Amino acid sequence: MTSAVGRVGTLAVPARRVGKLQREGRAAYLFLAPALVFFCVFLILPFIFAIVLAFSDWGGFDLGTLKWAGTANFGDVLSFDGTFVKPILVNTLLFAFGSVFLATFGSVLVAYCIDRLAFQGFWRVLYFLPVVATVVAIGNVWKMMYQPAGLINGVLNKLGVNSIGFLSDASYALPSVTVVQAWASIGGAVLILTAGLKAIPEMYYEAAEVDGANSWHMFWSITLPLLRPALLFVLITQFIGGLQSFALIIVMTGDGGPVNATNVAAFEMYQRAFKYGAWGTASAMAMVLFVIILAITLLQLWIARRRGEETS
Amino acid sequence: MRRHGKFPWFAYLVVILGGVAMVMPFLDMVMSSFKGAGEYGVIPYKLLPESLNLNNYREAFSQLELPRLFRNSVIVTVSVTVSVLITSALAGYALAKLRFRGRAVIFRFILATMMLPPFLLLIPTFLIMLNWPLAGGNDFLGRGGDGGLTTSLLALILPFTVSGFGIFLMRQFMISLPDEMLEAAKIDGANQWQIWRLIVLPQTKPVAITLGLITFIGTWNEYIWTLLISSSDPSLQTLPVGIQLLQSFLDPDRTMPIVMAGLVISTLPVLVVFLVFQKYYVRGVVLSGLK
Repeated sequence: MTSAVGRVGTLAVPARRVGKLQREGRAAYLFLAPALVFFCVFLILPFIFAIVLAFSDWGGFDLGTLKWAGTANFGDVLSFDGTFVKPILVNTLLFAFGSVFLATFGSVLVAYCIDRLAFQGFWRVLYFLPVVATVVAIGNVWKMMYQPAGLINGVLNKLGVNSIGFLSDASYALPSVTVVQAWASIGGAVLILTAGLKAIPEMYYEAAEVDGANSWHMFWSITLPLLRPALLFVLITQFIGGLQSFALIIVMTGDGGPVNATNVAAFEMYQRAFKYGAWGTASAMAMVLFVIILAITLLQLWIARRRGEETS
Repeated sequence: MRRHGKFPWFAYLVVILGGVAMVMPFLDMVMSSFKGAGEYGVIPYKLLPESLNLNNYREAFSQLELPRLFRNSVIVTVSVTVSVLITSALAGYALAKLRFRGRAVIFRFILATMMLPPFLLLIPTFLIMLNWPLAGGNDFLGRGGDGGLTTSLLALILPFTVSGFGIFLMRQFMISLPDEMLEAAKIDGANQWQIWRLIVLPQTKPVAITLGLITFIGTWNEYIWTLLISSSDPSLQTLPVGIQLLQSFLDPDRTMPIVMAGLVISTLPVLVVFLVFQKYYVRGVVLSGLK
């Protein structure tokens, strides 16, 4: 309709059309200007700065005293006598793996169950509540519940189990924090998985029912395979999130203790930088973690693309 | 409601048990906020307080300077949300509807920005704020001053004013707006700014609510960056940081119930906003998951 009018116009006066395009281009860059300026100052510049810092030796704030250090920072950070690889990087992976495993297992179960109940909206909002709360609320409430006189030990005592020092015992501290991370991220996963479940055509289930399959069979041979894209997305984004999250750990344990038991890579970076002013070492740690996360992101893109080729 | 499978009682059991685990911590938070001196931290544990006394809330108000924390939280959250909405709508429109050289490259760049993890930029961004030219007594090269931008609420706002995710969300939505409508406006003599302002912007209401809500809640709850910036200047604290730091200067056994009272107060605004608009928030999460 109107686009036809536009086309007639271009045929008649091509020169004016070129002018119009140029004007549109200028307008486009004006519309994009705030975003582009922002990304230059708060993304490209800090990213370059992060790389430079990782290869330099610098304390304090005077840029004039910055010295090139080659790969010395990485040598320090990755040396096996230090604490960064073990326990900190190991903790980071355990924390991310553990919370993703728990959250995914829980959210698949819950999403699958919610899908067959009444009041689905209500249930989804209920599971989503922790996502709305600040990490300070989540961390402190769980810290309180984990205390010797807290709710969880209260329940354990009722059941005849002795109190556990969830956050003070070095062997329980990391699993305890991991559970909270999983608890907090289950709601987002449930939402995405429910959307994935809704996209599975009802007729598959009907056909399976005619063939006499039970719920368990249907879950394994219809739901799980068809949910794979949504599931993979949840797994990978939450894993990436888990690798870099440390707010919960600051709130719950203060310093990553007891004795580094809950210290993770991003938190160690934070402490090295802002407690000790060791910009170089801290930036090298950030870079190591970034490379790990980048590898996982690329893996995700590769899997997504391969799947795209399969289906098309 | 799906009818396949014949064990809804099992589904109810799972969802209700899980639901209890989801709600219990919040219930404990509210209950503890009413507990008096002899009630908290006592074995055996009791969930219910003896009475609904508001002493902890009064204490939270006097210890915390809640009005100041609240004001900072509101200023930062509103500024960031408004800014993200405007810049996303502007950039999203250009990427969705305007033809220009470099569009594909810029779009791919915006997607790439979402892959850069925030912790990586934490240190350099802090140093950039510290050495911001002509701020906080710095000279035009960013040297010599005392704290640069880190002594101003701007430090909590500026690094969050644009969101790659927001631009992406707006662009995906605007691309489905009919071209005919924009062409018609052009024929009527409207320039691009007028088209954006009068035709495109009013139509983006649903996606704007979604984006606004996600940004609002994320900013209200932001912790790490605010903790860092306000560590040298406590007047910049927002609600989460102020409440967390309360613990460091009060007796721990006495503190927790007061902290809980503060947390109830700081969680309520977000909870109300979320419950009113939850439909939009849920849609935003799903959209981000199915891109």
